[in-house]
Amino acid sequence: MFTDKIDVKDFEKQDPEYQDLLKRVLAIQADCEIGGPNLYVKNILPSAPTKLDQLIVARTAAEEMDHFRKMARLAGDIGVDVSYVLSWPNQKRYVEAFRGTISTWEDYAVFGFLIDRVGRYQLEEFIGCTYLPLARVVEDPDMLREEEGHIDFGTHQTAEYAAKGGEAKERIQKAVDYWYVKGLDMFGNSVSRRSERYMEWGLKRRPNAVARQQYRDEVDALMTKMGLTIPDPNKGRLYT
Amino acid sequence: MQAANTQALDDQLKDMIVGLQRAVAAAIPHIKDDPKIVDKAIGDCKEILDVVIEGNVEEWLS
Repeated sequence: MFTDKIDVKDFEKQDPEYQDLLKRVLAIQADCEIGGPNLYVKNILPSAPTKLDQLIVARTAAEEMDHFRKMARLAGDIGVDVSYVLSWPNQKRYVEAFRGTISTWEDYAVFGFLIDRVGRYQLEEFIGCTYLPLARVVEDPDMLREEEGHIDFGTHQTAEYAAKGGEAKERIQKAVDYWYVKGLDMFGNSVSRRSERYMEWGLKRRPNAVARQQYRDEVDALMTKMGLTIPDPNKGRLYT
Repeated sequence: MQAANTQALDDQLKDMIVGLQRAVAAAIPHIKDDPKIVDKAIGDCKEILDVVIEGNVEEWLS
């Protein structure tokens, strides 16, 4: 396994596979960061339940934009202009979960609870990675703290709706049923040569299946605590 | 090696992000006592985010 620590000045001296994988993962990560606001801003900013919620939506979008900016900067510094994803329609996003729209508060809440949580797993992959500028960005407390804030807000909202029971609980369960499989799919195929290569080059830490299982353990326990039904983990999956 | 527009994009995004953060930070303390300030902040955020979502990057950087 590759264990060197690479800074931007040495990037071009690296193996072409290392360069390609790093460019690819930065483009995907940047796309995922801006993919969230593109899903929810249009419909949820004007329709959030309270004015405070509207401000929280705007603040969340600003933080995701800042995460995009940091990833775009890293990509730009190694010669990759990822600004094209800013003008992509949602249907073109690299990751399937970002290809639709969010138009209900319940979906917005569960997106924070489940999908932003996958985002945290993705960022954690880069902690201690061999590309130092990327490691520095994710190891800076701001990015993970902000992501954790989005997760906490979504988790709290989801739990609140579940606790109301009746129609409110049904609506939040429906959103959970939709986003749960999207979240599981975001980890990719369990058998993945590319995932192995990322680990070989020290750009990721965990196999897809391991990260997915850790995620499942975490969210299944939370859903059980909220009194929600854990959806069938295989129903509607694109990647297993 | 740096891609063209890297710095310009970074600067443009920073301006937008700071604009959003300032609007939100100014409004939250007045959430219960001054709806005008809050409405203005929400409007400002919407204006900035509409531009982001429209994604006309070439225009931003021109």
